[in-house]
Amino acid sequence: MNLGTRKILDRSFTAVGFGSIAVMGIALLIVLVPIITNGIGSVFFTGTIEHRNMLFNEFGRGNREELAKENAASEVYRKQIYGMLSAFEAELETMDSEKKQDYLSKYGPVKTALQTLIGPLPGEAEAILTRYKYGQTRWGKAEEKLHEFLYETRWDNSNPDAMAKEYFVSQATEFEGTSLVKLFPFVEEHLEDVLRPRFTVYWGFLTDSSVDSHIFGGIWPEIQGTFFLAVGAMLFAFPLGVIAAIYFTEYAREGFFNSILRSANSTLAGVPSIVFGLFGLAFFINTLKVSESKSVLAGSLTLAIMILPTIIRAAEEAILSVPKTYKEASLSLGSTKWNTIMTVILPAALPGIITGGVISLGRAAGETAPIIFTAAVSVGSAIGLADVFSSPTPALSWNIYNLASEHEAAAEIRHVQYGMVLALVSIVLMLNLSAILLRARISKKLKG
Amino acid sequence: MNLFRKIVLGAAVLGFMAGGTAEAANKIVMDGSTTVGPIAKSFAAYFTKTTGVQVTVSESGSGNGAKSLINGTCDIANMSREMKDKEVAAAKSKGVKPVEHIVAMDGLAIVVHPSNRVNALSKAQIRGIYNGKYTNWSQVGGPNAAIVKIQRESNSGTQDSFKELVMGKDNPISKKAETQASNGAVKNRVASTPAAIGFIGLGFVDNAVKAVMVDGVEPDERTVKNGTYPITRPLFMYTNGQATGVVKQFIDLKNTPEGKRMISELGYVNR
Repeated sequence: MNLGTRKILDRSFTAVGFGSIAVMGIALLIVLVPIITNGIGSVFFTGTIEHRNMLFNEFGRGNREELAKENAASEVYRKQIYGMLSAFEAELETMDSEKKQDYLSKYGPVKTALQTLIGPLPGEAEAILTRYKYGQTRWGKAEEKLHEFLYETRWDNSNPDAMAKEYFVSQATEFEGTSLVKLFPFVEEHLEDVLRPRFTVYWGFLTDSSVDSHIFGGIWPEIQGTFFLAVGAMLFAFPLGVIAAIYFTEYAREGFFNSILRSANSTLAGVPSIVFGLFGLAFFINTLKVSESKSVLAGSLTLAIMILPTIIRAAEEAILSVPKTYKEASLSLGSTKWNTIMTVILPAALPGIITGGVISLGRAAGETAPIIFTAAVSVGSAIGLADVFSSPTPALSWNIYNLASEHEAAAEIRHVQYGMVLALVSIVLMLNLSAILLRARISKKLKG
Repeated sequence: MNLFRKIVLGAAVLGFMAGGTAEAANKIVMDGSTTVGPIAKSFAAYFTKTTGVQVTVSESGSGNGAKSLINGTCDIANMSREMKDKEVAAAKSKGVKPVEHIVAMDGLAIVVHPSNRVNALSKAQIRGIYNGKYTNWSQVGGPNAAIVKIQRESNSGTQDSFKELVMGKDNPISKKAETQASNGAVKNRVASTPAAIGFIGLGFVDNAVKAVMVDGVEPDERTVKNGTYPITRPLFMYTNGQATGVVKQFIDLKNTPEGKRMISELGYVNR
C-alpha cells in the first residue's frame, strides 16, 4: 500500500471516529436537554397564588399575613368575575325556557373551565379531592387553560372521507347579546391580577410527600424508596459477590463443576430483569414469605440477585488484575493464604471492586421490572427504616412509569414525571461520580 | 477509627430518614385494578389524613389483585370484575375467603379520537369492529380510515368485562387488536391515534378522547346509575373474610358522604 492511500485511510478513520463521537454527543443532548430543562421546571417555575395557597393549607408553609394581603388583592378581580357570573345567572332567569336551556348547556362548560383556571367558584360545595380545591398552580398550565376557557374546540366534518379538522370558536361569540360576553375579555386581561404569577423555587418538590396522588406536592417518598431499595440490594449483594469472586479466583479448582458455575453466573447476568421480578414474587414473597405483602426487603433481595452476577464479574476481574508478584511476596514471607487475601489482594483490588459495586447500585436504583411485583406501589407515604421489612414503598423508576401511563391525570402532571426522571438520573449520576472519586482516592492511597 | 466514624455517620443519616413515620403499627395494603385505582388512591389519601393509618396502593390489574389476595399478600384486592370461580376455588384451597364489596358503578366508555366523525355505535357494531368484521371506519358511518383496535391485557378486569358485556361467549376479539396495559395507556393511545378505538372506565374519559353513544345512550352518571347505558359494571374491593378493624373502616368509606363525594368527583358513579 502506498503512502498516499495509507494517509487517506488513516484520515478517514479519524473522521469516522470523530463523527461517531459527535453523533453520540448529539444523541445524549437530545435525550438529556428535555429531561434537564423540564425536570428543573418542577422546582423552578412561575407559580401562581393558588400554588402559595396550596402550600400554606397543605404544608403550612408561607407567610400568613403576606398571603392574606395577596389574596385580598386577587379577590378584587375575582369579585368582579363572580359578579359577572351572577349577573348572567340572573339574566338566564328572565329568558324563555328554550333559550335558557340552550344557554345553560353552554354555560356549564364555561363555568367548569373557569373553575379549573382560577379555583372553586363561590356557591359551590367544597370539593373533597385536593385537586379540585385549587385553580392552576403553575402559570404555564394556566395559560393553556385560559385558551381552553376562551375558545371551544370544534371539529370540522365537512369531508366525510377524512378525519375531521380541529378549529376553535371563541366562547365570547357564543354568548353574543348577553351580559356574559364581557367575562371573556375581562378574564383574559386580568388573569395575571387574579393568579398573581411569580417566579417560584419549590424545593419542597424534593422533600415533600405528594398530595392527592402526585397532583400537588413532591416526590420524597419515591426518592427515599429508591434509596432504600438500592442500598438494601447492595447490603445483600456486595458481600456475597465479593466472597464468591474470592472463591472463584483463589480457591476454586479448574474443572467441570467450576466452569458450570462460571457459565451459570454469566447467563444470570443476561437474564431479563422482569424474570427476576417474577422470581422474586414467587420465591421471596409466596414461598419464603419474607414479608406479609410486597416489601422493601423482598424488593432488595430481588434486586440483589439481579446485580449479583455483575458484582461477581467485576470483583473477579479486579482480583485477577492484582499483580501475581504481590501474592507471591506475601506468601514467601510466611503469610497464610487467608491473610494474603485479606491484607494484600483485597486492598489492591478494592478500587475495581467498588467501581463494579457502585455501578450495580446505579442499576438497582434505575430498574423497574424487578420491583413491580415485589416492592413498588403507586401511592404510599414515606416509610420509616423500621418498616422496610414489612412495607412496600413508592420508588422513582416505577412511579415514572405509573405517571406516564396509568395515572388518570397524566397529561396534567407531566412536570412531576420529568422531575422524577431528573431526580433518578441525578441519583444514578451521583452514584457513578462518587464511584470514580472513591476509586481515585483509594488508588492514590495505595500508590502513596 | 475513621471507618467506624463513617459508619456511625451513615447510621445517623438513616436514622434521620426513619424519623417521623416510625409508628405505623397498622397499615392497609391494596393491590389490583387500574380502573379502581383512582378511587383507591383517593380513599387512601383521605384515610391516612383522617386516621393516620398508612395505606399503600398498587395498580397491577384485577388478575394480579386476585392473586395477591389468594396468596395473602394484600388486605384488599381492587377488581373491576367479579372473582372467577377458578380464583374462588384457589382461594378456598389456601384458606382465604374472598368477600366482595361493591364500591361504585362504572360505565365502560367506548372512546375514539375527537376528530372521528362517529358519535354513536351500536353494540353489534362494536362487536363487529373488535371481532374483525369491520376494518374500516367507513363501514360504521365514519371516515375512510382503517380501524386501529385497542384492547387490554389478559390480566385486566376491564378486558373481561368488555368480553362479557359486549363480545359474548363465542365471539373472540380479533388477534389484530393492539394491547395496552392500563386505562391511562389506552386513553393516551386513542388520543394520539386518529383512527383508534378503545374502551376505558368512565373516570378516565376527558377532552383528549371522545366517548361515543352506545345503542343511542350517552355514557354519564345518570345513564350508568339507572342502567340504561348498556355497558355498565360494578367495581369491587375484595377482602379475606368479612372486613374487620381498620380494613372495615376503610371499606365503609364508600358509604360515607365524603366517600360518595370522592367517587363522583373522580367521575365514577355511586351505587
